[in-house]
Amino acid sequence: MTRNKTATIALSTVTGFVVVILYGPIFVPIVSSFFTVKRGTVTWDEPTLAAYSALTRNEGVLEALRNTLIVGVLAVVLSLALGTLLAFYYHSGRSRGREFLQLVVFLPFLMPPIITGLSLLIFFREIDFSRSLVTVVIGHTAFVLALVYRTVLVRLQSLSRSLIEASYDLGASGLQTFRYVLLPNLSSAMIGAAVLAFALSFDETMITLLVTGTENTLPIRLWAMMRLGFTPDINALVALILLFTTVLCLAAARHLMPQGAAGREG
Amino acid sequence: MRRRVAGLPLDVTAAGTWRSAVAVVAYAVPIGFILVPLTSFLVYSFFWVEGGQMRFSLTLLNYQRFFTDDIFLPVFWRTLFLCLKVAGLAIGFGYPVAYLLAGLEGRKKYSFAMLLVVPLLMSYVIKIYAIRSILGGNGFLNQALLALGLIDQPLTFFVFNLNAVLLTLTALLIPFAILPIFLSLERIPRSLLEASADLGASSAQTFVKVILPLSLPGLVAAGTFVFVLAIGDFLTPQMVGGQSGFTFGRIIYSQFGMAFNWPFGAALSVVLAAVVVGAIAAGALFGNRRDEQR
Repeated sequence: MTRNKTATIALSTVTGFVVVILYGPIFVPIVSSFFTVKRGTVTWDEPTLAAYSALTRNEGVLEALRNTLIVGVLAVVLSLALGTLLAFYYHSGRSRGREFLQLVVFLPFLMPPIITGLSLLIFFREIDFSRSLVTVVIGHTAFVLALVYRTVLVRLQSLSRSLIEASYDLGASGLQTFRYVLLPNLSSAMIGAAVLAFALSFDETMITLLVTGTENTLPIRLWAMMRLGFTPDINALVALILLFTTVLCLAAARHLMPQGAAGREG
Repeated sequence: MRRRVAGLPLDVTAAGTWRSAVAVVAYAVPIGFILVPLTSFLVYSFFWVEGGQMRFSLTLLNYQRFFTDDIFLPVFWRTLFLCLKVAGLAIGFGYPVAYLLAGLEGRKKYSFAMLLVVPLLMSYVIKIYAIRSILGGNGFLNQALLALGLIDQPLTFFVFNLNAVLLTLTALLIPFAILPIFLSLERIPRSLLEASADLGASSAQTFVKVILPLSLPGLVAAGTFVFVLAIGDFLTPQMVGGQSGFTFGRIIYSQFGMAFNWPFGAALSVVLAAVVVGAIAAGALFGNRRDEQR
């Protein structure tokens, strides 16, 4: 796009500022984690790894981490299975109910999480289902389902019909066509969606806060700790989580990027 | 990978059973775990509480209370206004970034886009906490301003109030403004810009007369996204809002906590859902109309 020099400088300034706004809140805890914190203020001349060793002894946090991983993996597996099934159902049929079904799937993603969380909370109470990690898994699955469904559907729609027809012509059954023709073509979209879904589940706070029982996931644990006051090991935990999420993001990008870049030419 | 070219002949009845099984699961799960909860939620908003006991008879009392009580309606309007401001600020910051991004080439463009999106997947709670500590009386911002000699004592007008909520939400949601604007800028054909330049327009004129109107759908989408996300958030106001920064989301949340009036909380959430649906519908309507004009 054409523009003059003043405009370029102005644009770059705003952009630089935005990058600082976006990354400042991420870097402050990371940097702080390597220094001694006394009464909420960081002592910059006392570098230490004490926060990290304190973290390994923090039972509550470790348990929360374990819960988060369990919930994330289960939510990903469930949403992947269901999302793929829904995508196939939407793609293959012509019935009118499909559009309605798609809207239902999108609802938890479109509606504020507080609404999804509260509706599940009321629902579980009505059917007398006590709150636990199971209800958290259900909440997370409902939330990430739309993402998985949409990603798989978009890839499915980009595949040529002749691919499937050729498979049938060569005598493959429906199941064989799925296993040997469709699945290999869908796998990169599915992996990308799984990684993103896991990242969303890992960080999901609002729905979890409402549907969890006595067990904490990591964001809930952090939320509770931050409201009470701050111990330095949170900084260490934050640094580790951010490192982990960055790796996840890059992994997701690797699987989704080629598709995005290819989509531009098409 | 094994490949079997000659498979078994297609069993028609088995395929039919398989197909209906898929259909059953496809409908049962989303309806059971999304639609039914949402419906029971809606029904709950017509129940009421008396002396700490739930009454399961239908009433409009909850809605009446919301529209007539002097506490809730002002908070509601204030929250709407706050979220509009968040959307405005996010667009104000997001547009220049999206514009710069759209002007980049190839790999550079996608790497930079990644850089802007990645913070979205970083822990929400941690970011709120970090922003709070940056804005706080003892925080980085005040320390920096003090060190630079711009102020004599720490500023407090963005600590534990609605300003803090405004700034924090904006900082958190800017990426949601950048992306839709970027996508709409990307869709503007270069030939239009060249035509505008050929006809003698300055780059400022081209921007105002060609680029801005054509990127309006993206701008609207950005505003809708940010508004919807901001209005549904109760963590940020809870964390940085303090006593004076009460928002609609916080009131809803408190009905399920301390106040323990689930039906009233459900009714307030229905109002919230109506606002969200309205915002999305308005955004979609506007976006579609722009598309048809092309």
